[in-house]
Amino acid sequence: MIPSPSERINGYLDDVLTADQQAELSAWIKAKPEHARIFAEAILLHDRLRNTLGTDGVPNAIHLSTTIESPRGWLANLWSMSSFVRASAAAAVLVFGLMALWFTIVTPTASAAIRELDRIIVNSMRTNDRTFEIVVEEITTERRGKRSPRPETQRPPKPPLDEATLYVRAGNQFVLMAKLQDGLPFVTGSNGQQSWAVNPRGPVKVSDDVNEFNRDLPGHESSVPLTNLHDGLEQLKVAYDLTFAALGPEEYQAEDGHVTQLIAVKKPKERGPQRVEIVYDGATGGILRMRFIQMPYGPDRLDLRLSLVSEEELPSDFFQHTSHHTPDRKVEVEN
Amino acid sequence: MDERYQQAIRYWTLAQPIVSAYVAAVVRDFRDRDDVLQEISVAVLEAFPAYDPARPFTAWAMGIARNQIGTYLRERKRNRLVFDAETVDLLAVAFEQLDSAQSRQLDFLQDCLAKLEGRARQLCELRYQNDLKPAAIGSLLNMTPNTVAKSLQRIRDQLRQCIERHAAREGGQP
Repeated sequence: MIPSPSERINGYLDDVLTADQQAELSAWIKAKPEHARIFAEAILLHDRLRNTLGTDGVPNAIHLSTTIESPRGWLANLWSMSSFVRASAAAAVLVFGLMALWFTIVTPTASAAIRELDRIIVNSMRTNDRTFEIVVEEITTERRGKRSPRPETQRPPKPPLDEATLYVRAGNQFVLMAKLQDGLPFVTGSNGQQSWAVNPRGPVKVSDDVNEFNRDLPGHESSVPLTNLHDGLEQLKVAYDLTFAALGPEEYQAEDGHVTQLIAVKKPKERGPQRVEIVYDGATGGILRMRFIQMPYGPDRLDLRLSLVSEEELPSDFFQHTSHHTPDRKVEVEN
Repeated sequence: MDERYQQAIRYWTLAQPIVSAYVAAVVRDFRDRDDVLQEISVAVLEAFPAYDPARPFTAWAMGIARNQIGTYLRERKRNRLVFDAETVDLLAVAFEQLDSAQSRQLDFLQDCLAKLEGRARQLCELRYQNDLKPAAIGSLLNMTPNTVAKSLQRIRDQLRQCIERHAAREGGQP
C-alpha cells in the first residue's frame, strides 16, 4: 500500500522517515505549490504544539544568553516594553531573553526546572541498568556526647562508601560493592523480592524484607533512595526547590558544552540531603552525575558524588546474591 | 522608547509564529530550532531600520530567516538535511503566503488541548513536552512505535478539526 502524503508529513513531524521517504516527501512538496502549502500548515500546528507544551519560552531565554555575547545597541531598550509581552508567548520569549541579556542575568523559573526534572525522569526510564561510582567528598559526624536515640546509631557501623560501585536496575534492584576498613570486599543488594548481604566473614544473609539491607546505602531514611533513581527524582519534585545553575567554565568545556546542572535545595522541615546537584546531558536529559550534600547516613552526614560509569545491560542474574559468592558459602535466611 | 522600535516589536510579534514554523520545517532538532529562531529575532530587530514599510513585513522577515537558515546549514554541514535548497526555498514561499489569520486561529489550540484526556494527552506531552520520538514513547507506554505514530497523527488531526470548529463558530478570532 502506498502511504498517503498525510502519513509522510506526519512521519516527518515525528522524525521517523527514512532517507528515501524524506526524498519522496521532498518531491511531493516540489510537485505543486498547493502541496507546499499543505505541508506548511501542518508544520504551523506542529510548531505551535511544541511552543505551547514544550518550553513556555524559558529555555529560549537560557539559550539567548549563550548565543549572544553582548547587548547590541537599541535592543537593550526593550527592557521597558512590557506591554508587548502579552501579545504572544513567542514574543515574550524574545523580550524576556533580551531583558536577561541586557542585565546579564538568567533567571529561569522553577516551573522550567521542574519540567527539566520531568525530562530527566523520563530519560531515566529508558534504560534499565546503570552503574555508578561513588566518591565520598566529606563526612560530618554528629557531636560526641549527643547520642541520637534513633535506632540507626544502635546498629553496626555502616560500610565505607568511598570508591564503592553501585549497580541499579529498575524495580528496586541494586548491588553495592564496597570495601570494609580492612580492605575486604562487602557486597549487598536486592533482586526486588529479597535483600541480601555478602559479608567477607560469617554467613550470607538473605531476607524477604527488601529493605532489610538497604540501610547500607544512604537515602532510604529520607525518601531519596539511591537504589531507585525514579523515586528519588520524584521526591525532589515534592520536597525540594529546583533551579538551574551554571557549571564552571572548565567543567563545561570538559563536557563538550552540552551539559546542564539542576540544583535541588531541601525545603524547610523536609527530610533528606540539604542539596542535590544533578549534572545532565542537556540534549537528552540523561544523568551524568549527582552530588548529594549533607546526606543523612546513620549518625553521619555525607557529601557524596555518584558518577555514571555505564548504562550497559547487566546479566539477568546479577542482582541475585548467588552471583556474588561461591556456592559453598552458608546462607542464612532472616525473617 | 522610540516609536520605530515599538513598531518593530509589533510587526515581529505578528510575523514570528510563521517564521518560527518555517524554521521548524527545516531545522529538525527542537533546541537548534530555538537557537536559530533567536538569531533571526535579533537579526530582524537589528535590520529593522532598513525595512521598507511598503513591503509586507512577514516576507521581509522571511528573507532574513532564509539567510540565517542558510548560514546554519552551511556551518553545521548537516548530514541530516532533509530538504534540498530548492525545497527550502519553495517552503519559504509557502510560509510567506500563509494568511496571518491561519496563524491566529491556532490561538484556539489551548482550548482544544484542554479537551484532550488520558492516553491522548499523555502521548502529546511525551512528544512535545519531553521531546520523545515514537520509539521512545512506545517503550515507555508499551506500545509499538507504529501505533504511537498513528495515534499522534490522529491527535493532530483532531486538534486541527477542533481549531477549525472554534474558528468557524467565533469568526476566526480567539
